Amino acid sequence: MGRNTEIRQFDALPAGQPMDLLSAHGALPVIRELLRTPWVRRASDLPSGDGSGKRAEVAVDVEWDGALGRPAAFLYKGKRHVVDTVVQQWAVESAWWDRPRAVSRRCFRVLARGGVWDLAYDRTREAWLLIGVVD
Amino acid sequence: MSGPFVHLHVHSDFSFMDGAVRLDGLVEHVHRLGMPAIALTDHQGLYGAVRFYRASAAAPVRGIVGAEVVVEACGVEGSECDQPPGRRLQVPAPTGLGRAAAPGFHLTLLARDITGYRNLCRMLSRAHLRDADGGTGPARSVIPLSDLSRMSEGLIALSGCERGEVGASLLAGLPWRAKKAAERLCRCFARGDFYIELTHTMTPGSPRYVAALTDLADALGLPVVATNDVHYLRREDARLHDVLSSVGARQPLPSPLGRPNAELYLKSASEMRRLFAGVPRACDATIEIAERCDLDLGLGTFHFPTVEVPRGETPYSVLSKLAWRGIEERYRPVTPESVRRVQHELAVIEDLGFAEYFLVVRDVVDFARSKGIRFSGRGSAGDSIVTYALGITDADPVEHDLLFERFLNPARRQMPDIDVDFDSARRDEVIDYIYRRFGSDHVAMVATVCTMTAKSAVRTAAKALGHAPDRVNSLSRDLPWVSARHIREVLATYPECRNHPLKSPEYGLLLDITEQLDHCAMHLGTHLGGFIITREPIDTWTPLQWAAKGVVVSQYDKDDVEALGLVKMDILGLRMHSAISEAVSLARERVGEAAVPEPFLLPHDDKAVYSAIAAADTVGMFQLESSGQRNLATRLREDTFSDIIAAISLFRPGPLEADMIVPFIRRRHGLEPVVVPHPGMGPILRDTYGVVIYQEQVLQIAKAVAGFTLAEADSFRRAMTKDRSRAEMESLHGEFVRRACALGSERAAAEEVFRQLEGFAAYGFNKAHAACFAVVSYASAWLKVHYPAEFAAAILNNEPMGFYSPRLVLDDVRHHGIRILPPHVNASDAGCSVEEEGRAVRVGLKGLHRMTERLLCAMETELAVRPFDDLADFLRRTRAEAPAAESLIRVGACDGLGVTDAGRPPTRDELLALLPELKAVLAREGPAGERALVIAPSRARPAQDLSHVSGWSPVRRLGAELELLGLAVTCHPLEFAAVDLKRRGVTWARDLPRLEDRTRVRVAGVRERAQTPPTRSGKRTCFLTLEDPTGLLDVVVFSDALERSGETIVKHRCYIVDGVLQNNAERGLAIVAEDIAPYTVRSEHGEAVRLRRGVGAAPLGPLRGGAGHTDEEEWSAVEATSAQ
Repeated sequence: MGRNTEIRQFDALPAGQPMDLLSAHGALPVIRELLRTPWVRRASDLPSGDGSGKRAEVAVDVEWDGALGRPAAFLYKGKRHVVDTVVQQWAVESAWWDRPRAVSRRCFRVLARGGVWDLAYDRTREAWLLIGVVD
Repeated sequence: MSGPFVHLHVHSDFSFMDGAVRLDGLVEHVHRLGMPAIALTDHQGLYGAVRFYRASAAAPVRGIVGAEVVVEACGVEGSECDQPPGRRLQVPAPTGLGRAAAPGFHLTLLARDITGYRNLCRMLSRAHLRDADGGTGPARSVIPLSDLSRMSEGLIALSGCERGEVGASLLAGLPWRAKKAAERLCRCFARGDFYIELTHTMTPGSPRYVAALTDLADALGLPVVATNDVHYLRREDARLHDVLSSVGARQPLPSPLGRPNAELYLKSASEMRRLFAGVPRACDATIEIAERCDLDLGLGTFHFPTVEVPRGETPYSVLSKLAWRGIEERYRPVTPESVRRVQHELAVIEDLGFAEYFLVVRDVVDFARSKGIRFSGRGSAGDSIVTYALGITDADPVEHDLLFERFLNPARRQMPDIDVDFDSARRDEVIDYIYRRFGSDHVAMVATVCTMTAKSAVRTAAKALGHAPDRVNSLSRDLPWVSARHIREVLATYPECRNHPLKSPEYGLLLDITEQLDHCAMHLGTHLGGFIITREPIDTWTPLQWAAKGVVVSQYDKDDVEALGLVKMDILGLRMHSAISEAVSLARERVGEAAVPEPFLLPHDDKAVYSAIAAADTVGMFQLESSGQRNLATRLREDTFSDIIAAISLFRPGPLEADMIVPFIRRRHGLEPVVVPHPGMGPILRDTYGVVIYQEQVLQIAKAVAGFTLAEADSFRRAMTKDRSRAEMESLHGEFVRRACALGSERAAAEEVFRQLEGFAAYGFNKAHAACFAVVSYASAWLKVHYPAEFAAAILNNEPMGFYSPRLVLDDVRHHGIRILPPHVNASDAGCSVEEEGRAVRVGLKGLHRMTERLLCAMETELAVRPFDDLADFLRRTRAEAPAAESLIRVGACDGLGVTDAGRPPTRDELLALLPELKAVLAREGPAGERALVIAPSRARPAQDLSHVSGWSPVRRLGAELELLGLAVTCHPLEFAAVDLKRRGVTWARDLPRLEDRTRVRVAGVRERAQTPPTRSGKRTCFLTLEDPTGLLDVVVFSDALERSGETIVKHRCYIVDGVLQNNAERGLAIVAEDIAPYTVRSEHGEAVRLRRGVGAAPLGPLRGGAGHTDEEEWSAVEATSAQ
């Protein structure tokens, strides 16, 4: 039900896609095609182990590009991943009245070497996290 | 990414529970962000529009007035439920609270000019005032497309947020419907006035949403505009918004509106430009729209309602003739001073263009006069001889040195404000007349904005955090009426909050939220008596809506109305007028029409009246009865009408704060010399012994010492009373001293005069207001002195009013030798009545618990035929309901009815036992049947006191009276404990004046009032008014004693107070408490007397009063304000 609804909400035509996804289209045609498909979902939404993505909450070091206001690179498993482009940004603020459950994050879906990564700056922990990966 | 941006979709707290932007900080914040303009678009109204417009006019930021309205669905033909399931769209739930909330699709409207503003007002008014018929028409508060298209001129529309039909359709996967809706909405507006609104709320779906809307706009050839649907000023305020929206939806957090993040804040231009980097034209459009919106509300001009004048006349000529005619009637002979003043005032009124306003007010009071409805003007209007001549006010401005410039300052063109109090009982007749006279399309009531205090903020926060209703009640209980931002200070310092549950660390978050909620707008209320009257249809000036009490109310409060230049009249109800009218009527019934003169027209020279006031025998007297006033009376010893004016003026927060009373009293009694720094002040301050009490005196001094004109002097006084910067103060000081020296004053004297004015100007009282009140005070005092029984009956019949409870008013009349007769079905009316040639008051029945209006009518009708023989006769003829009949029996209203086998009337216990049997027989047989029902009485309790017809002991009788009537008819409760109190060394109130100052005393009394007004020291002091069988006791509880005894005062009703008597001419008579202990009243036989009214007040009876308050264990109840 959920997936069908998602698909129907956005037609598969390019016009139905977010504009900022196309900002790096010259360099990354394959990823662009991938992202154009309507059934791509946030990795952080997907249950782990279904083969298409995985959840993670791993602390990572992020280099911040102050001029562009976005992550420039991050260090994961000892390897530096340079961010090619930011695909999407969103913010999450929930359950602030219940400290153990409180979430306050600014999330960035980035294209970096090796795939699509979801990075989040967690305001409560004041730390960068890798919260999802689409392989 | 750089460039300007203007937010065109902003919700303030006037979106009522769906916005946390405070208007006082909005414009400043926008200016700080460097934005050239800002729009305000609250839900379904312009509630905050005028104050927002004024704030923006005072800053280099253009204010754009608009609203987010709810419109009917237009993307499909027919109703939503006619659509196949796949094509339906869920209608967004209401957001906000009250009238601001309506289920439907949102649309953002901005007023481009005054035409757009008027159309928006009309459109909103039509939507709000439409009946909720639930039929085929659109639902209430929803704007139909027909209205939208007819009234779209001058408006710019944005397609709305995600709750607009265009956005919601796209989100629901119905692009065809979005297109259809956009096309139809677009057709309602002129070309170029409809924009597709892009909102990027930083959710994962936002980019797709923006892209889809942009494509739709491109396909339809419509412009796009970016907004952020702002609901709070800063990101951290999102929590406040979550709290408000969840409480608005009556659900605990999380808010049902489902906002997933904190991104709806007022973002900077660069943040917005970055968000909409792909569509910079959407940001450019905000600037373009802001430049197109140029609304001018024309503040500073006045708009008077139509006044019909005879052909060839003008409003001014008519007003002049009426004023001169009035002067002839008021002054016999006409004096040169009165002529000079009328000429001067009429010239100013003509110059300012206010003649119509005076005629409107005169029209209304003339109607009241013609119908015999008592009224009195008050406030600074009393400074005018024209209002006096027109019969609007009753205090002679020449006699009392009242200055017109204090009312109307020619140098400051401000709408005059004439307040008139009408007889409460007949106020509705006046209101009806206003609607008939000016037309219902031209009249509406003024709104008030209800904001959060500590109590309501705690309740709001607690509800949002999911606490159960019982917990919410316990957390908000015992909190005084203070600002929410002081909640922590209150909990730490107030004695009644010593054990308050909010002190627990678990409520830290709740207190944080409470502090932030301080003064947040909660909902719209209705002004007590303010009416707007307009020349044009009123809905072209202000949006209207239904108030909860069923009247049409403007969305603007009194300040907004004044700013718009509309005429506002306060039609206030004053219960004292009702009481005076009734007392006069009762007195005339007894002694004849001619024997009782009209009390408002009496010469103010009755010695007996002044003696009563000076003896502090003032219970029931208008403005003179409070404990403070009684204390003042013993020190002041009023003997002229001017003294009454001074007393009314002195016991006010300003004079109290400036401690004007002590020098006034000392100088009056010759305890200190009267010294003025400048000879010019001597004649001005002669009546007040050199103390500046009245605002009018400040004007006169500025005129006499520094040569100011009265208009200049009024501006000078106003400037001194405002919050001034040091530089402004220096400027005023320099100007005053320079001009005084130029007139020949010595510099030192001029400096000293300025210093005194500076000290007193902010605290002075308007003498005209006091003089107008004094006329009513004198009338009430005269009635109390000469017709005490009638006056007391009238006061009791018009409760709730005044400072004291009905119980105390009844005790007071008993002290004056008037007999109190118990209520009885064969003798009592609904209200209290006077018997025995004015020597007795019969208690009425309308205040009895469980009494019904129907039963009162039936009793009156049957009593006119013949008296009731016995209980059965009463029940058969009146069909009395069992609960009411039980109350009547218990309170003694059926005592002495009928005869038992023992040859005596049945006792109350026997009547109570008989009642169900009689009711059963009547139910079986109906009203027909034998005239006398003979039923053997059931077994009842043996009589306790055979000497009384009721068979009840006095304690039991008193208990029933207090419980059911809230009155002590039998005797004062403490009379039962007289022996015990004597043994404990208690002194009665009547004996205190004979004791020396500083004597240690012990007194006992029942609490009547407890007040904790602000004091100069800032420390909390409680003024406790107690009553014993001989009179009133005034007890002062300073902060250290209050710390120890605060809880006792709140939790108990009767105390024994140990303290020191203060009995001197300077400070008057009072007891300074050292220890307060609770006291349980018991009779000699050990029976306890219950002092609280055990049940809520009767539906027809008093709603307030020490003995009848349902919530009396709270400070708020203890301190219940007097309805003066």
